[in-house]
Amino acid sequence: MAKDANQSVEGSIRWALVVDLDRCTGCQACVVACHAENNMQIVGEKEAAYGRWTHWIIIHRYWEGEYPNVKARFMPVMCQQCTEAPCEPVCPVFATYHNEEGLNAQIYNRCIGTRFCGNACPYKVRVYNWFRPEFPEPLAEQLNPDVSIRTRGIIEKCTFCIQRIRRTEIDARAEGRSPADGEIQPACVQTCPTSALLFGDLNDPDSRVSQLAHSHRSFRLLPELGTDPGVIYLKGGEVNV
Amino acid sequence: MSKKLTRRDFIKITAGATVATGLAPAARRVVIEPFVDPPEETLPGQATWYASTCRQCPAGCGIVVRTINGRAKKIEGNPLHPLNQGKLCARGQAGLQVLYNPDRLRNAVRQSGGRGSRKYEPLYWTEALDLLKEKVASLSHPGRLAFLGGLMPDHVYQLTDRLLAALGAAPAVIYDLHSTLEGRGPAQQLSQAFFGTGDLPVYDLAQSDAVFSFGANLFETWMSPVAQSVAFGSMRQGALSGRGFIVQFEPRLSATGASADEWVPVRPGAEGFVALAIGRIIVEERLGHVGSHRDHAVLYQNVDVGEMSAASEVPVDTLRRLAKAFADADRAMAIPGGYLAGQQNGFASMLAVQALNLVVAQIGRQGGVFLSTPAPTVALRNKPRVNPFSDVLNLINRMNAGEVDLLIIHGTNPVYELPAATGFAEAITRVPYVISFSPFVDETAVWADLILPDHTYLESWGYQVPSPGTDRPVISGQQPVVRPLYDTRSTAQVLIDLAARLGGSAAEAIPWAGEETYLQEMITGLYGSSLGAFDARTSAGFWTLWRQYGGWWSEKEIRREPEITDIVQKPLPMSAPQYFGDPEEYPFHLHLYSSIALTDGRGANQPWLQETPDPMTTVQWGMWVELNPQTAESLGVGDDDIVLVESPYSALEVSVVIYPGIRPDVVAIPIGQGHQDYGRFAQAVTGSNPLGLLAPVTDPDADSLAWGATRVRLLPTGRKKKLARLESLDGQGRESIG
Amino acid sequence: MSEASPNQPKHANHPDQMPEFEERLLLAERKDWEINEAVLQPMFKTGRGFWILVAILGAIVLWGLYAWGYLIYWGMGTSGKNRPVYWALFITTFVFWVGISHAGTMISAVLRLLKADWRRPITRGAEAMTAFALLMAGLYPLIHLGRVWKFYWMIPYPNNRFMWPNFQSPLMWDLVAIFTYLIGSSLYLYLALIPDMAMARDYTDGWRFKLYRVLALGWRGTEAEWHKLHRALGIFSVAIIPIFLSVHSIVSWDFAVTVQPRWHSTIFAPYFVIGAVYSGLSALASILIIVRRSMRLQEFLRSEHFDSLGKLVLVAGMAWVYFWFAGFIVEWYGNEPIVRELIHEEVSGRLAPFFYLQMSANVIPIILLVFKRIRTTPVLLLGTTLLVNVGMFTERALIVIGSLQRNDLPFNWGSYRPTWVEISIVAMTFAGFALLYTLFSRIIPFVPVWEIKEGRLRYTLRRIGRLLVPTAAEME
Repeated sequence: MAKDANQSVEGSIRWALVVDLDRCTGCQACVVACHAENNMQIVGEKEAAYGRWTHWIIIHRYWEGEYPNVKARFMPVMCQQCTEAPCEPVCPVFATYHNEEGLNAQIYNRCIGTRFCGNACPYKVRVYNWFRPEFPEPLAEQLNPDVSIRTRGIIEKCTFCIQRIRRTEIDARAEGRSPADGEIQPACVQTCPTSALLFGDLNDPDSRVSQLAHSHRSFRLLPELGTDPGVIYLKGGEVNV
Repeated sequence: MSKKLTRRDFIKITAGATVATGLAPAARRVVIEPFVDPPEETLPGQATWYASTCRQCPAGCGIVVRTINGRAKKIEGNPLHPLNQGKLCARGQAGLQVLYNPDRLRNAVRQSGGRGSRKYEPLYWTEALDLLKEKVASLSHPGRLAFLGGLMPDHVYQLTDRLLAALGAAPAVIYDLHSTLEGRGPAQQLSQAFFGTGDLPVYDLAQSDAVFSFGANLFETWMSPVAQSVAFGSMRQGALSGRGFIVQFEPRLSATGASADEWVPVRPGAEGFVALAIGRIIVEERLGHVGSHRDHAVLYQNVDVGEMSAASEVPVDTLRRLAKAFADADRAMAIPGGYLAGQQNGFASMLAVQALNLVVAQIGRQGGVFLSTPAPTVALRNKPRVNPFSDVLNLINRMNAGEVDLLIIHGTNPVYELPAATGFAEAITRVPYVISFSPFVDETAVWADLILPDHTYLESWGYQVPSPGTDRPVISGQQPVVRPLYDTRSTAQVLIDLAARLGGSAAEAIPWAGEETYLQEMITGLYGSSLGAFDARTSAGFWTLWRQYGGWWSEKEIRREPEITDIVQKPLPMSAPQYFGDPEEYPFHLHLYSSIALTDGRGANQPWLQETPDPMTTVQWGMWVELNPQTAESLGVGDDDIVLVESPYSALEVSVVIYPGIRPDVVAIPIGQGHQDYGRFAQAVTGSNPLGLLAPVTDPDADSLAWGATRVRLLPTGRKKKLARLESLDGQGRESIG
Repeated sequence: MSEASPNQPKHANHPDQMPEFEERLLLAERKDWEINEAVLQPMFKTGRGFWILVAILGAIVLWGLYAWGYLIYWGMGTSGKNRPVYWALFITTFVFWVGISHAGTMISAVLRLLKADWRRPITRGAEAMTAFALLMAGLYPLIHLGRVWKFYWMIPYPNNRFMWPNFQSPLMWDLVAIFTYLIGSSLYLYLALIPDMAMARDYTDGWRFKLYRVLALGWRGTEAEWHKLHRALGIFSVAIIPIFLSVHSIVSWDFAVTVQPRWHSTIFAPYFVIGAVYSGLSALASILIIVRRSMRLQEFLRSEHFDSLGKLVLVAGMAWVYFWFAGFIVEWYGNEPIVRELIHEEVSGRLAPFFYLQMSANVIPIILLVFKRIRTTPVLLLGTTLLVNVGMFTERALIVIGSLQRNDLPFNWGSYRPTWVEISIVAMTFAGFALLYTLFSRIIPFVPVWEIKEGRLRYTLRRIGRLLVPTAAEME
């Protein structure tokens, strides 16, 4: 069962992402950065039309109002890294589990593709490799060696760029320290032009994400389901001009 | 299994031979060295980061590229670069798919089966350069050489300019669709008119608390979207003085408009009227705290608010409310954007918008309008400027008249990027010899006799003064992050080699042996500047630091304040928009717009960009036409129905997207698809280039293509084509229940 | 056991002339060896029709295997699933087959414990149905895997990575439950088969003899053996009931443990179990009618059996309606937005045709089965019970596929269309089931002869004075 990682054990980390909806412009830089970092496959128009794309982060766009009083709002949604993740207990082979840093980890080479977790996730952030990935040469040269390539039959999802987390932690440990707040940046956080995304340790009271988590603008997605997500949204503002 | 072995060997070869910096491209030999003697700066499994400049659009953001074992793995924004401050947009992130694109040309080639045959015969560079030299030297008159370029990097432009001048040929004609869509030419002229210089304005969004954006898609593709987005983030939640607001004036709610606080659906081309009305109201009613009423009353002498309201279809109350908000703000700012430039009255509109900044005295003030700083040294100041559209049309005429014997094309794809109605595709067939520098076989390169593929930008040297700039003088530097993959050659080097072969005045104008020495000499003036962010004790050290930092910039903010010309002493011109096409027969305005992923179509060969959902429609890999729900209902079409969009010039079929954020009399189509060439990913998408619909009309005041002034009609076809949307159409509008 | 003497006076009201007694007497007329012959005879009849049937079914199975190979090689993308409909036709059919399998146990075990004698000719057919349905069902957890070549990771075996499967996952419960049920019902089938294998051994030669001799395990029919058999069957009957109840509950929990709207319902376990009973019994009735006709087992499978079976189906159907309603009313009344949306989809949206098909195909049979005429006319009963299974398959499809098309974030809604791969594989399991059953009917005596004989022994007519009185004896 998912460890109750939000209990404050001395020195334990809980990674969290803050998404400031007031800053997000829907520019999709995070989407492409994620692709570049995590070796995702491109599925082409036909498969994308059938809902088989493999984006780990997607930007929901919601219309409000009717012409001429129309607004559109963006909401980037990625794996919410829920503490009480509904996807974790249902995997028959432990391909997804809760790690000690509060992440919902996905082990690609353990997944046998039952897709139970895909159904169990209420945010539908889990995507599946429906076919073998194809990287026409020399596109394969770009592939990130820190991230395994998933073949057909494997579920994948946002990992908060765990490869970057690990690398920074290892490097920091080699220097005899722990990572500073803001030192670890998943690909999406690093590239977001408006700095709408912020990453850090929720269990560290001095971190920026911790402080923003207490903002009056903060909310989580689908809180009534009791998933206790690690992604905190900050409500967009509104000014009546 | 054998594949794995080959790969290991390949790594050894490339790692052994990799010294990514400092090795002149001319000395390209493959040296197989064992790992006992590895290159100094590479460690297996460890990354080496190289700083360079992104060239996916002309903004010139600084990037750092992560390379492992000689392969580029990830592009990030350069955190030190003052323009983008470590951030990067979607197109910048996709740059690796330009470098590693499977459809790149691998050699200099000649179309052996004739133009358009798509049969290529590779050439050695010595042969290719000899052929190039022969073509240039054999011209009966240097005036018969035409060079058509896109907005190329400064270093290439400066070489091109020198060469053409030395040959006595006409200067390069600069045209590309991206620049046209962002209204770069008219913006240059606007600066000239207002501030007496062609340098583009820099809008200090970060410090502004009230931004009125007139058709500027600030966070998508216009000018410097990353820098503007960084500023927006600050403006919203980073400023100590509180949250700024944005009002977007455009006929179609863009993604930028979605980030704004209010969208005002202005009649196409009437944005200038709105600006005039607002200015008039501020001056007339003495709004705000600046007290500029007397000084600027003359600007709005001829403006009648009621007329402006009727012409733009924005109610007077709205205008009044907005005027008050604008005037009451501490640091208001009005931005004239690309879409304005696409109308036949574009320049007049842009003048009206810029004038608002005058009225609230925000020129040269925090949160207001500054000017781009030119390069610190004179040598670096020669930047490419977008040519007036009549220059392009003249070129086409000359081509048709047989006055051009040799056409050289670099960094632009005019067969795709010009409206078909201009006749470029026919004109090019009348030119006896065409040479292209394109790394890809695009629609124009297919009509070239000789293609001398440039390196892609991640393999190139260079520099670029960003325009628009930022809050201090900056020059972005470019260096190869990997060894060039194929037997391509940078255009700068080709020009240097050509000059050497030509001898005479050409060789005198371009005396350098290679592009690196050229660059080193060009930037040498910066060494010793006390403004710089880094100090070097020797010029070699400076060259090293230049490469490590990714350019040169001033350590401190040095904003350039504009000086205003005498424009303030005359009434602002008022020009009604005009549209091509009879309103009875063609009831809709065609609003083409630059797609955030594909921009002007140059991103279409990168699969990441194709599969990136459009922020507003969430469609991937496709093109569509956006209709207001009422319009769709009156036509009897729904989502995914195919309609025929017909202009007086051409027609195309495309699927419908019902789009609440667009005027009922406007239909919008994104630009970028409809490629006939340009690689497998671009060609995989069915569709037609929407530019084909355009009439070749211009804004006479700015001499720019009026790409937003064509009218169209829509005819349902009864067929459907499902678009690859991210969102569920069933779930659209049902969010309140979730 | 008394044989009716030819000198019995033929009065009205005489037991000899009352139809129900006539039937019993009729059976009692037959000698043991005649019954054996009557049961064994159809097994040898493999005429042209039989081989054509086997060929067609075999072809469908082979095509399905090809489709499966295609699916494995190219990937799950060749099926029609997508995000968010990650489970579709395969899981639907899986649940369907598990449901079908419940009839066997119902008949054999439950009716045995309740001492319902009319079960006797049916038990083997029912148990065979259970076993084959479970075999077909058991294919689906393999078929629907994205990486089926790693399926063995679901099996708990000690390995060098110290990795055990996750027993919190309902899929693991499925594995255990179905495996246990399959083993259990196969054993149960086999145990009850032994005496008949011995009988068949004694009546055949050639390859059949060899086969039956092996399967008979040297049964000699001694008192001790019979005693042990009855003990074993008694234990099994009791032991298999909890398995029977839990299997479909567990399968239902595949859905109910998620937070997916319309899946997350506490009523799923009993609802599915009763649906399974309904579906399984109907399938059993359909199969029996077909087999009765093709193997000419009319004298063993008589209208009273179908009458009773029909009544069971009726009761199961009514219970199903009750559970359906209990589930539906709380969802409808609770008015949770997404659930409301799903109900709307079902009742008046795109899923409406399926919903009304489901309801009519499930409810109309209930009304029809009230009438004895329907229950005792084979053709009508066949039509009715096939209709039930159409309805129940649709019901499973609506639950699995229909619900997945909607979820808590409307941006993520989707839709589904099956592909040839899925249809082929589903057809493969139907054909496979039919093929197994057909082959079974020619290898194994369909009617449990010893049970019938045993039943005959229980009910006799004894003369008490001048009356012929039916008497029943306790056998166990």
